[in-house]
Amino acid sequence: MSVRITGIGIVSAIGLTVEENLLSLRNGRSGIAPIKYLDEKREFLVGEVKIFNQDLIDKLGVKNVNISRTSLLGLAAAKQAWGSGTVATELKTGIISATSVGGMDRSEVFYQDYLKHTSPDFDLLISHDSGNTTERIAAELGISGYINTLSTACSSGANAIMLGARLLQQGKLDRVLVGGTDALTKFTINGFRSLMIYDEQWCRPFDESRSGLNLGEGAGFLLLENEKSITLSGNETLCYLNGWANAADAYHQTASSPDGKGATIAIQNAISKSGLGFGDISYINAHGTGTRNNDLSESVALKNVFGDNIPVFSSTKSFTGHTLAAAGAIEAVFSVLAIRNHLVYPNLNFKNEMEETGMKPVTELQTDLPVNAVLSNSFGFGGNNSSLVFSNAG
Amino acid sequence: MSFITSYCHLDNESCRVNGQEIASRDSESTENWLRQLYKSQDFVYPKFYKMDSLSQAGFIASELIKRAQPNLVSNYADDKIALLFGNQYSSVDSDIRFKKSYQEQGTPSPALFVYTLPNIVLGEIAILNKWYGENLFVVLPKFTADFFVNYVQIFISQGSDAVLCGWLGISSEQMNVFLFLVEKQGEAGMELTAENLEKIAGF
Amino acid sequence: MDNLKEELKNQIIEQLNLEDIKAADIADDALLFNDQGLGLDSIDALELIVLLEKYYGIQVTNPDEGKEAFLSINTMADYIIKRKG
Repeated sequence: MSVRITGIGIVSAIGLTVEENLLSLRNGRSGIAPIKYLDEKREFLVGEVKIFNQDLIDKLGVKNVNISRTSLLGLAAAKQAWGSGTVATELKTGIISATSVGGMDRSEVFYQDYLKHTSPDFDLLISHDSGNTTERIAAELGISGYINTLSTACSSGANAIMLGARLLQQGKLDRVLVGGTDALTKFTINGFRSLMIYDEQWCRPFDESRSGLNLGEGAGFLLLENEKSITLSGNETLCYLNGWANAADAYHQTASSPDGKGATIAIQNAISKSGLGFGDISYINAHGTGTRNNDLSESVALKNVFGDNIPVFSSTKSFTGHTLAAAGAIEAVFSVLAIRNHLVYPNLNFKNEMEETGMKPVTELQTDLPVNAVLSNSFGFGGNNSSLVFSNAG
Repeated sequence: MSFITSYCHLDNESCRVNGQEIASRDSESTENWLRQLYKSQDFVYPKFYKMDSLSQAGFIASELIKRAQPNLVSNYADDKIALLFGNQYSSVDSDIRFKKSYQEQGTPSPALFVYTLPNIVLGEIAILNKWYGENLFVVLPKFTADFFVNYVQIFISQGSDAVLCGWLGISSEQMNVFLFLVEKQGEAGMELTAENLEKIAGF
Repeated sequence: MDNLKEELKNQIIEQLNLEDIKAADIADDALLFNDQGLGLDSIDALELIVLLEKYYGIQVTNPDEGKEAFLSINTMADYIIKRKG
């Protein structure tokens, strides 16, 4: 049984709304550029959301300005997905968000002052923890039922969607906002650099010469509703979430296995759950971070599952950067848009296929292919691998 | 219906398996409590020393549960054991250490960065046991029996046969760790209900 | 040169959290990344890169360069001397 998606929202390096993101995707316009909004002296290429915190606060009408950028981005996306949702007390409502950074952006500011003993503002720490990030979003939207926060690295967004879908199917909730959000921070930039997987140049997913990822920031949210909720809201069903699965890679804390075992299991189980055949998948939105390790492991997994008949695929991370906990959710929104508009997005920056696999992603925007079902992959540190299947039929 | 068949508690002073104390902290020792446990319980896994406190606690408690339920490893296929953990502090201990490494010492440490995600402990347990099942980490304001009971049910109805659950309440001062094993076939154990769970959790 | 190797061993033990191992336990030619040697993994390799910068001011920008240099204490010492001139 599939779950209905009735709302979508997104903020990313390529736009502050769904329409802006769609336009950028159609026009092949990447949002990766030198750092501008984060107070960081060194020149890194990142996928920043093109707006300062104060402007976001004004735009969203947030009164309590003691709020992290992660919450602001999440709120901006969640509001779009929520639409004009009413506080209907007869509906069991929830919000499940995911984040890896939480309020780290503000804690970093606090920490500098703290080290230098220049009157650090302890209030900055209130917004630090991941749970608070979600609670602020819930408070701003007036949601007080079920509130949950997940943190499973780069698969977090997909896992939030999965958890929401399951709760809906089990009848625990009637409607749920699901997604993820992460702001750019020096913490994550330094971290990925220390692992030597940060590319100084614009990332090239699946390319033979790829040498790492570019970090991004943003948020994505979906509104999932059951029949009872839709009867009251009158919302149109935009798309269906038909299948999902999660599996452990059991290989290394941060690297993916060379045989792509965890990814293979997640992909197979998600498609199996959807009731679709492997041949029914029209397009794969890959995790495709651009690291030597992930792209190879994911390619091997795709070969394991689809053999010689791999559907057209691409990574959109050369548009948005790797948005960590938001990635699974942002890419879920892209998947919904792909189905509704019959689009297959280009894998920007690709020149040469990987020697080990010879696999070629799509490099030009496709508008003529029927896109009925999309597989979206999100593989996180800790070997936490998740896959989602969307389609235009329930 | 599913059953709690084994559990382990770790707090600042003692370690208990299925309610029985098996070790208590030696306040004279120069070693920290988790290292004391590792040595006194005769574990052999050198990677332990590279782990952060969440992973060390998760390792010790899950290994003690495996010792109490020796059939756990052989009874189930490698993708049928799910992992469901949570806490209120996420990876704050490691976060602070990592920040220190780049802000104070100027050299961001990759080994520390690896642990600045709370779900890495699940990765460590999966790697050690070669378990390919589902795994999820949640951040909640406090231990919530209802959430675990609900979600274990979901895991089991979707194909898992056993779920290793854990609450890793670890901050720089406090340790409140509670791991419990739930099995679909475990009639010898206690039925998994919010009431029973709250009782044995003892928070 | 012997001093350097001794120093290196102690720095590695400390930086990599190698418990229960003393400098005397590490042979100069033991293969660091081999299970029969020190059994180091890929994260340890990155920590060695940090170590070189922290203690010797040497920057390894290409991780592949590290693979050659980090085979054993001997090769590490040679690499340090070569880079420091």
